[in-house]
Amino acid sequence: MDLDYAFMLKYAPHFAGAALTALRLAFWGIAFSCLLGLACCLFRFYRTPALGRIAGAYIELSRNTPLLVQLFFLYFGLPKAGIFLEAEQCAVLGLSFLGGGYMAEAFRSGFEAVSRVQIEAGLSLGLGRAQLVARVILPQAFAVAVPALAANVIFLIKETSIFSVLALEDPTFLAKDLIGMYYNTSEALLLLVLTYLAVLLPLSLFLNRLEKRVRHAEFGR
Amino acid sequence: MKSAIIFKRALAAVAVLAGAVLLLAAPAPAQAASFDSLDAIKARGSVRIGVFSDKPPFGFVDSQGRNQGYDVFFARRIARDLFGDENKVEFVLVEAASRVEFLQSNKVDIILANFTVTPDRAQKVDFAKPYMKVALGVVSPATAKITDVAQLKGKKLIVNKGTTAELYFTEKHPEISLLKYDQNTEAFNALKDRRGAALAHDNTLLFAWSRENPGFVAGIEFLGSLDAIAPAVAKGNASLLNWLNDEIVKLGKERFFHQAYDATLKPVYGDDIDPESVVTEGGDID
Repeated sequence: MDLDYAFMLKYAPHFAGAALTALRLAFWGIAFSCLLGLACCLFRFYRTPALGRIAGAYIELSRNTPLLVQLFFLYFGLPKAGIFLEAEQCAVLGLSFLGGGYMAEAFRSGFEAVSRVQIEAGLSLGLGRAQLVARVILPQAFAVAVPALAANVIFLIKETSIFSVLALEDPTFLAKDLIGMYYNTSEALLLLVLTYLAVLLPLSLFLNRLEKRVRHAEFGR
Repeated sequence: MKSAIIFKRALAAVAVLAGAVLLLAAPAPAQAASFDSLDAIKARGSVRIGVFSDKPPFGFVDSQGRNQGYDVFFARRIARDLFGDENKVEFVLVEAASRVEFLQSNKVDIILANFTVTPDRAQKVDFAKPYMKVALGVVSPATAKITDVAQLKGKKLIVNKGTTAELYFTEKHPEISLLKYDQNTEAFNALKDRRGAALAHDNTLLFAWSRENPGFVAGIEFLGSLDAIAPAVAKGNASLLNWLNDEIVKLGKERFFHQAYDATLKPVYGDDIDPESVVTEGGDID
């Protein structure tokens, strides 16, 4: 197959722009999912009345529905109920909703790995609940949870590929758009793969290093 | 040590990709025809035709799950004339932007998804004689009616990806920002939710849609050039192309496309629209 290199060169900057759009939305989505996930995890860990249950239900709901359906609900469903959200708001909200459940489970793996002995030792020293979380549980839980959290970050960035249903210009949207207009399928798809690789490969390497560092601090090796 | 492994893995990923790129970039050896000829289709016993699922009254799926519409009416006739049975057709539902791919990857034999003939498309697929005429139109809320393209400046215009409307506004009016959707249903829903000031599409579709959706009017009824809609086959599939051309000429003699119009479009258009502005017989377009 002969590739149209002029076409690829012409549209490469467009793909870079689209990748930035996706990354910007992913950044906010991931930031909110981390906060949401941590909050849910704490509610569940301490079996907070009502909130603990709600968090549990939310985690199941978010992890067992596809992002596409969540986005359709936010974008096409809510306006029928009189709530109008812009496409970017829907994107960040949808990603946070989905990511929150996954992040909560990742944090849970960390929390559960902290041994009872550590918590009891903290309590016997007279630490309050907040001190116990901040100084004993979180530092250890975080170190254990980092691989799972990092996997979620990559996963959520890849999920931005369906933002095109909201008419947002992410790389997948751009590729499908170019194919639809000019029919340079191989070129557009190749640029698409390269774009995701250029974004995700360095990030993946960085997260791997981060993981090593954090765990090094914990286990001393 | 672990980081060395990670690095190796990353390197392997890059190497695999580089290999794939080389494969793609290598000049293709004379590859086997990526389509089924007329004889192969006849031997198979059914014809695969790509139609729309969400473009009433041209191609859509009714409440019983059956394919219906002007294009589908023609598709069933093709099956009847090929196999003596109008049910010997396998409908494949396509999106506007994926019509060329379906032919190129030999997932369908014929595209009958309201496919407007354009020079870009004619480079990638072979069009038979036309069976319909079309131009572009713009539909907008009656309360904020758009009657001129100049009114769209600084506003958002909704289009469907891979349609002639998208290409027209991308090339002729880059100053208008476009909201692009994959599916007609999504695009029209977005208009109903007022995500854009107006929606541009084939005028034949907009006439039908605005009649069924009071509150919206086709403020611009004719835009761009009068184009032809024709069946498309994979590039080089001459046996099938010739058969289709003969078929369209033959059907013109019995005024088949006027029958198709009466059966599928007239119930929607009523008497407001002159059938001669939509239908063409025997592949003649003026």
